Amino acid sequence: MSGGTTPGRYRAEAARTLAERPSVRTAVTSATDHSNVNRGRAYATIDSERWRDWARDTKTHLLTHLDRYLEQAEASLLRNGVRVHWAETAADALTALSGIVREHELKRAIKGKSMLTEELGVNAHLEGLGVHVREADLGEYIVQMLGEPPTHIVGPAIHKSLADCQRLFHERFGTALDADPDTLARAARAVLREEFLSADLGISGANFLAADTGTIALIENEGNIRLSTSLPRIHVAFVGIEKLVPRLEDVAGFVQLTTRASTGQPIGNYVSLIQGPRRVGEIDGPDEVHVIFVDNGRTRLLADEAAWEALRCVRCGACLNICPVYRQTGGHAYGWTYGGPIGAILAPALLGLEESMPLPFASTLCGACADVCPVRIPIPDLLLHWRERAVEAGLSSTSEAVGLSAFTKAAEHPALFGAAGTLLRWLPWRAGGRALPILGGWLQERSAPEPSAKSFRQLWKDGIE
Amino acid sequence: MSATRPGPLRSRASVAFFATCLGDQFFADACADAVRLLRHVGVDVHVPEGQTCCGQPAFNAGRRREAERMARHTVDVFGNAEYVVLPSGSCAGMIRCFYPELTHDSDDGAAAALAERTYELSQFIVDVLGIERLGTGLDGKSVAYHHSCHALRELGVRDAPLTLLRGCGAEVLPWIAAEECCGFGGLFSAKLPEVSAGMADRKLDTLPRADFVTSSDAGCLLQLSGRSSRRRDGGPPFVHLASALWQGVRGVAGRVEASATGASR
Amino acid sequence: MSATEPGADAGGKQRILGRVRAALSGRSTVDHPGPFESWRPPDTTVQIAVDRFAAMLEAAGGEIVRLPDEAAARDWLWGFSKDFTSAALGETLPEPLRPALPIAAADVAPLGISRARGAIAETGSLLLDARDGRRAQLLPPTHVVFVHAADVHVTFRDAVISMKGDLPSALGLHSGPSKSADIGHIMVKGVHGPGRLIAVVIEASSP
Repeated sequence: MSGGTTPGRYRAEAARTLAERPSVRTAVTSATDHSNVNRGRAYATIDSERWRDWARDTKTHLLTHLDRYLEQAEASLLRNGVRVHWAETAADALTALSGIVREHELKRAIKGKSMLTEELGVNAHLEGLGVHVREADLGEYIVQMLGEPPTHIVGPAIHKSLADCQRLFHERFGTALDADPDTLARAARAVLREEFLSADLGISGANFLAADTGTIALIENEGNIRLSTSLPRIHVAFVGIEKLVPRLEDVAGFVQLTTRASTGQPIGNYVSLIQGPRRVGEIDGPDEVHVIFVDNGRTRLLADEAAWEALRCVRCGACLNICPVYRQTGGHAYGWTYGGPIGAILAPALLGLEESMPLPFASTLCGACADVCPVRIPIPDLLLHWRERAVEAGLSSTSEAVGLSAFTKAAEHPALFGAAGTLLRWLPWRAGGRALPILGGWLQERSAPEPSAKSFRQLWKDGIE
Repeated sequence: MSATRPGPLRSRASVAFFATCLGDQFFADACADAVRLLRHVGVDVHVPEGQTCCGQPAFNAGRRREAERMARHTVDVFGNAEYVVLPSGSCAGMIRCFYPELTHDSDDGAAAALAERTYELSQFIVDVLGIERLGTGLDGKSVAYHHSCHALRELGVRDAPLTLLRGCGAEVLPWIAAEECCGFGGLFSAKLPEVSAGMADRKLDTLPRADFVTSSDAGCLLQLSGRSSRRRDGGPPFVHLASALWQGVRGVAGRVEASATGASR
Repeated sequence: MSATEPGADAGGKQRILGRVRAALSGRSTVDHPGPFESWRPPDTTVQIAVDRFAAMLEAAGGEIVRLPDEAAARDWLWGFSKDFTSAALGETLPEPLRPALPIAAADVAPLGISRARGAIAETGSLLLDARDGRRAQLLPPTHVVFVHAADVHVTFRDAVISMKGDLPSALGLHSGPSKSADIGHIMVKGVHGPGRLIAVVIEASSP
């Protein structure tokens, strides 16, 4: 789980973050404001509707032929001299990693940002094997030093202000408390430079994997992924089975659309297209490249007739950036690797329906996410689907079930409905305050609404001039 | 934006008005203003007895069976109407966008037929009747408009309310968070009150200095006015769009009357 | 390249593929929608492509130098490299484009000089081939990259199609100096790749 909490504690964690750490909301809102403006601008300079249709259709084609493409991908990878592993569960993935570590007696790992490795718990596992692990992405490095999980798919430390970073770097590196960002960056660069040069194991995820050429595509701005997949003698790439695309040409389209959706850039500053280990005649590059294909619940999601479209996700973070619920707290409150809208539609399949509660309900179904998703995942529809499944499984509250059942009965009997409405308006329920189920939640944060002196029904009967 | 008429209308269209459950109890005066407004633009209005709730709260809570029952009831009550008009973007959206799929198993096409004839108030006036100027009653007034998510994204209603407000002489002020969710979300507001309040705060903290704030959705207005009142903002009044537009027709001098502000008592 | 044997967990592979097939049974399929076409002006001359490449790279913080031929490039390099004590060089740099500087390892050299395989106009990217040597492309804080105008592809897709039959172990698209906004949302350069990227476009083809 993420940062010592679980989805089940979402309300409490969200409330605590808002009450005790208001700077998180400020920092997250500010960072995502920038991202949203940039994404909007980037979409406006292209025919974004057509690009998004193309991306949706290409990923849907891929997913509906996934077995064929997985086999083609493996054949391409093997042809390139890549070692391929298949992991049904997180445990299998970590076992494969252990095998590689032991085979090569690896001691020092350097990592590029990968949400899949967070999902699997790779860092803790490596440390358990006695391997030193360093996150090389600056944002990941910051949260690693703080002992926190990343708060966002793309910007792991967006919940930290400049002042937070200054304090942290002062404690760790002795930089001045008022050091400017360039000075802090130089300090991090120097430390991480040593890590790149001394690591024997480089770990990455994969943004995309082209089945026809076996190319692993990785997008970044800093260069840490290029370095961590080039300098250490062993490179291990963790690849979710849904990350495939049919052809290398498709990678060209997906890279450009994903970076526009994510940060508003026409392309990431560095894109690595990795075919395999260093070749005869090349002077550097890893001796071995391993791909670990990971299922970990993805086939369960694929089997769900209503929810499988979530597998189109390219992990751009656009839905997090636009989500008015996510922006209140950042990612930690969700208690899992993936938060925000995408987290809520993945969790029921990858974590389990009960374990994912109440995430599918942590949304007003406002629909802003669907407006921006580059692969057109109908997120509100999927949230509704998981809510219905939760109700069927008996996972929603009894008082809500009883209340809605009574409400529905009344709604089918207009006289009863009218009478109940009148009663509600005159009963001193406000005096019950926060102790009331459901209504108490309203009164905790808002004044009670004033009912109209007469109902509209009554006004109509009386005659409207 | 465009005042397109879908075809020649009979001289007086007949509208069945659906007040909605929140409208009936908390925005009765605004509903009355909506009736007055519709009559003023040349429409026959009747209010079918037996109307209760469109079923959206149950639907959004994942309770499909309950929602379907309320939908069936609503289809029966409104079945024969030429047009159905609601002073609510989210309820109109529920009927237009979700009724056909919700009742299709038990249905004879009545729900789909109803959906096609159902409109939110401002959408009906601009897109069906082709009317953009109602009067000059809001001359000199500045307004902040909150777009309810369902009106905006389900119904696709963005310009109609603004066109009508401006058509009455109001200035619609820029509001950076105008299209962001207010945090109501039906039961969400009560089940996750802290986050809901944070979302309302985001709206209120960025609110421009306007004479009044308006929206087509009762739930949104209760959320924003209720939070504003708890914060003791002393900010502008919250007025339902129907009342704002009726003021635009009548041009009552002075301050725009508030229909429901959730003022603390 | 000889094939290595498949992963030892062949059982895992078959189970995963089995579950994929079971999940998809009865699901209607969608055809591949075809090529993705993006930026392409009506006339795609070399000049237009280079202009676009230059504009995109500069917008991302990179620098452009445009020179008529290799001789001019050699002269420019001679002047530019005077400020540096040593350089790490790409394996595929032609002799005329090697500076008169001591050669140093990439992890200590202040300057790295590479020869790009090509560039992409649409995205403002240099195509850096592993065969030129990755370390010199990544470690020195200042990076000079020579590219021929004729090797500037119009789109990313064009570049892929052109290179597909001859891919190295790794290809890097470098589209600007290294940057990050992870510290308080403020942009900094040079973490971790080169903080200064200079693309030198040689208009004439090499002999």
